[in-house]
Amino acid sequence: MITFHTDPKQLSSVIPAKAALRIRTKFGLGSNSIIFPPRSFFAPSPPPRRRGKSEGRLTSSTLAIIGALTIFLFLLVSSAIAATAPDLEDRTREIATELRCVVCQNLSVADSPSEMAQQMRAVVREQLQAGKTPEQIKEFFVSKYGEWVLLKPKTSGFSALLWILPYAALILGIVAALWFVRRWSKAKKTRREPAQQAAVTVQAQNDFLTQNLEVPDIEDTSARARLLRERGRLKDELSELEFDFQSGKLSETDYQTLKRESETKGGTVMQQLGALPPEPVTKTPKETPTRAAEQNKLARPSRFRAWQVVAGGVFLLLFGLALGVMLTQSIRPRASENDTMTGDFMTGTTPAAGDARVAMNEGKQAFSQQDFPKAIDSFKKALAADPNNPEAHAYMGFILIQAGHGDGALMAFDKALSLAPNFPMALWGRGTVLYQDKKDYAGAREIFERLLKIVPPGEERNEITKVLAEIPTGAGEKKQPVVPAPSASAPQPRSAQITGTITIDPKLKASVDPNAALFIIARPAGGAAGPPLAVKKIDKPVFPLAYSLSQENVMMQGTPFAGKINITVRLDKDGNAVTRGPGDMTGDYKKNPAEVGVNNADIVVDQLTQ
Amino acid sequence: MPWRRLVLIGVIIGPILGLLAFGFTRDARYISSPLLAQPATPFTITLFDGRKLALDELRGKAVFLNFWASWCPPCRAEARDLEAAWQKVKDKNLVFIGVALQDTDQNSLEFLKEFDVTYPNGKDETGKIAVDYGTWGIPESFFIDPQGRITYKHVGSIRAALVLTKLEEAAKSIASAQEGKGDYSPIK
Repeated sequence: MITFHTDPKQLSSVIPAKAALRIRTKFGLGSNSIIFPPRSFFAPSPPPRRRGKSEGRLTSSTLAIIGALTIFLFLLVSSAIAATAPDLEDRTREIATELRCVVCQNLSVADSPSEMAQQMRAVVREQLQAGKTPEQIKEFFVSKYGEWVLLKPKTSGFSALLWILPYAALILGIVAALWFVRRWSKAKKTRREPAQQAAVTVQAQNDFLTQNLEVPDIEDTSARARLLRERGRLKDELSELEFDFQSGKLSETDYQTLKRESETKGGTVMQQLGALPPEPVTKTPKETPTRAAEQNKLARPSRFRAWQVVAGGVFLLLFGLALGVMLTQSIRPRASENDTMTGDFMTGTTPAAGDARVAMNEGKQAFSQQDFPKAIDSFKKALAADPNNPEAHAYMGFILIQAGHGDGALMAFDKALSLAPNFPMALWGRGTVLYQDKKDYAGAREIFERLLKIVPPGEERNEITKVLAEIPTGAGEKKQPVVPAPSASAPQPRSAQITGTITIDPKLKASVDPNAALFIIARPAGGAAGPPLAVKKIDKPVFPLAYSLSQENVMMQGTPFAGKINITVRLDKDGNAVTRGPGDMTGDYKKNPAEVGVNNADIVVDQLTQ
Repeated sequence: MPWRRLVLIGVIIGPILGLLAFGFTRDARYISSPLLAQPATPFTITLFDGRKLALDELRGKAVFLNFWASWCPPCRAEARDLEAAWQKVKDKNLVFIGVALQDTDQNSLEFLKEFDVTYPNGKDETGKIAVDYGTWGIPESFFIDPQGRITYKHVGSIRAALVLTKLEEAAKSIASAQEGKGDYSPIK
């Protein structure tokens, strides 16, 4: 979508009077000539104040009485106001702080100086006076604008999530942190706390009774094998005790005592087993991972978990820092009325767009200080970041006017207008060049009339009307004869050029390559082969294109640009003047040869190379 | 095991961050107006010719309501289109109303004269009508059906063809689900 990058009001205010004056001088224009409306339009001087003269005379006593009455009335009224107004104003403000100014960037209705915010405050005040509650008033605005008008989202419905989620996340975070810390410290202390030790013993005894472990070979002399054999022996002992008790060889008491003894021993063995380093994989009883092994895992101070906690902490810290930095950077005043409301950060505006904006601002500043080289640099940067910025093209156009390059300026304005057909600044620039430089009065009038349609009434409009009145009306002729410019630096008078417009045949319009380069080639009439007299290359041309050929385009220095010349144009797909390929388009001036000085050598590109 | 846990945490945090990032790309103003398919707030406006016009009196007619200002370029861009649309339908059971916002009488009148606007136009003196219709950028256009219900809202300049289409829909009480967008100027 193409939008106006500049308020039409800025049309004149962007160009300081001094720069305008220099531009005028460059073109040899008088003070009545136009380039930009004078800035003084924007600072109307206040009318002079005059002290009123009283007609009659008043006695001092009458004056005293009137004075006393006035003071009395004033006190009476002000006390009455003081009793009610502050309260109403405070309440209005209170509600207004919770409403978003609908035309600003993150400002409340209370804080915004905009007219709309004033009107909204008036509505709040009115509704308060009518006895509505703050909730009813906010609800009224929500029903008109939607929930976004509330600076604090509602605490019910889907918006409630906005309130709940941060707290939920905070609580979750605390719980998670506590859980990690607890697990970490637990792992460290497993073997030190007596109470826990007792629990471990009981667990080990249970494991001893319930788990089935393989009894290793007798040749295996490792600690694990010995313990496992001991465990097997104790288990056998327990079964024998059971058998003896069942067959009546053992009394109940003896049985219990002996059983407890074996179980305790078994538990100790299990614990010792658990404390051993993990056994080789081949010997692991895969189907029953021992509880002891788990204990072992717990018992070791976990280096991995410590790493996790540290990494988590560092991540959270970095995340917080990044978020903080990005958010604070995204807060800024809106650069223009078409700027986003939410700021830069992740608003869909790419860094390139951000760069472009910075470059644009620098460029404008440099332009206003008449630092043109710097301005050119900045606008080039802006165009590199966003080649479709009509404002940057228009500024380039104004700089080119300033430098005396009417054709270049015209191209820049054309480019701007191809991007934003109603961009006032570019229209103004194009009109000015056509009028002042090209003396194409009909073209200029057309542009200014177009501008008149879109510029609101005001100083600019009056200025445009004035310019329109100034433009000479030729009796039916399209273009006025070219008047030589009083420029000392030009080696030849300005009439030593050929100008005209290049257009594309409507039938070929669809096959125009937007990246093609246009060559305007001039050859002496009747001349044989050999290099052309003059060539002009225009990258990415925008049609219709106003062109001019003059001495400065001559290829061999010293050759005069004079006489009868054949003019042809080629829209070259690969931009190489030497090669010719399919897709190239050509056209020539139908009245070839053209006399130098002719200013309507219009050319239609109508042939397509197959 | 720890990797599975990290993936799990990612699965939880990822969408939350994604939602956050998505939220930053949204402009709150582009949430569709809550006024669509809702009854239009009644108002009475004093027209520039001195007559008074009340929305309530227009029941039974489809209404095209347009907020504009003479200082707003997109309003100028659409002015001829609106008048052209009006010329096409003025004999039908339809009403066009223009409401000037934040503008002086003189500028408004000049605007109307310049674009030969013939449909009724008045001024929103206090800005109350603008607030009632939730305007934030002009021009803003509303289409109201014969029962007094808003069927469509368009922020920014609008073309004659769309005006005529949406008026037909309004006459049949067909409400659009979303508002339309064009070039606009934020109000001051």
